[in-house]
Amino acid sequence: MCKYCVEYGNGTKWYLNPDNYRDEIYKAEGHENTVRMLGGAEKNTFEVGTMAQIDIMLPDLNYANTLSMALENMTAHGGQIVPLEDALKIIDLCQEPFVLMHCACRRYFGRPDVLRCLFFWPVADMALKERPWETDTKLLTREEAKAFERECDRTGFLHSIWHAGVNSDGIPAIVMCHCTSTDCIPTKFRLSYGIMNSQRKGEYVSVVDPVRCKQGCKEIPLCMQRCQFGAMRYNPIDRVQYIDPQACYGCGLCRAACSQGAIKLTDRSSFPSLVDNW
Amino acid sequence: MEDYIYTTPRPVIYYDAESCGNAIQCLKCVQACLDTGHNLIGFMNTDSPPIGENAPGRLEDIHHMIIFSGMINCNGCKKCVDACPKKALTLEMPEQRSPSPKVQRADTVFCVINRDGSVTIPRD
Repeated sequence: MCKYCVEYGNGTKWYLNPDNYRDEIYKAEGHENTVRMLGGAEKNTFEVGTMAQIDIMLPDLNYANTLSMALENMTAHGGQIVPLEDALKIIDLCQEPFVLMHCACRRYFGRPDVLRCLFFWPVADMALKERPWETDTKLLTREEAKAFERECDRTGFLHSIWHAGVNSDGIPAIVMCHCTSTDCIPTKFRLSYGIMNSQRKGEYVSVVDPVRCKQGCKEIPLCMQRCQFGAMRYNPIDRVQYIDPQACYGCGLCRAACSQGAIKLTDRSSFPSLVDNW
Repeated sequence: MEDYIYTTPRPVIYYDAESCGNAIQCLKCVQACLDTGHNLIGFMNTDSPPIGENAPGRLEDIHHMIIFSGMINCNGCKKCVDACPKKALTLEMPEQRSPSPKVQRADTVFCVINRDGSVTIPRD
């Protein structure tokens, strides 16, 4: 389990700990500012404004530490990849309603609107009242949110769970995003600049069963398209897929695409070398 | 001895907000950068919109400005500069230089020999 899980998971993963979904934690010091920034009229100033600062805060590409710390301490907002089953468990831990809205990274960088941000109930009222110009925002029930998660998994959008700050009372989960390494800025921050706190690896890694894989697709497999992290590799000698455990983020999108059931998610801790690899 | 400060070179873009005006009415530079595949140009509300009865009803009712994110990935194609009808963008490329090792210790000339002639690790 990652550091967050060990300290704030109370025996389970931080995002599966009901304590991190208590009403009062969203209003507590260290969290309420982030909740307000994400829920209210200042959301774009907060999110897009942070993206606009990236070059100023990262003078040397070899040392992303300053920006990593700034994300954790100033914006008090960071994300971790989760696979579908954990995403569904998170939905179960939340109260209704869920707020499905556009993704700022896509809308404000010129792409057509894709509704990919699934905010949780603490921001529902605030978002609807303070941002009336977001006319395409939808409220979802729990079942609709789960159906949305399944659809994202099927079509290749990473599930990532985001928090509203790490403080001694816990880590409240505030939104589930559906990212891609091409147009999600926090995912790009992590992959291109090594900013650890913007997107953490998941609690799992994917493993290919070569026997099942060989029984499978004879053309370029869909799993190759799905891996956003370059962990999915083709072995031309054995003619099977191989996942590099050091590079895998445990998102499970490859698994969703495999027609042979050849890919399984295992705990990151089952590989001893990955204990610090997040 | 001075500390050697290393910065990753990257193009610098200058945005004239006055010439641009309200970016959301145009967004040609955003589209131009998106079309090249780099996707480094975005737009953002100039100020946080008001809450309550004066809250804007449409995104278009909010005054926006252009922002740039991740100039590390800019190769200076200048499609954004060319696309702007108000000439609000200027691109400045960094100085060309050949690849060079990053100086980690400004006081060391070569391996173990320091500028003052003393030796960090004796060879014998």
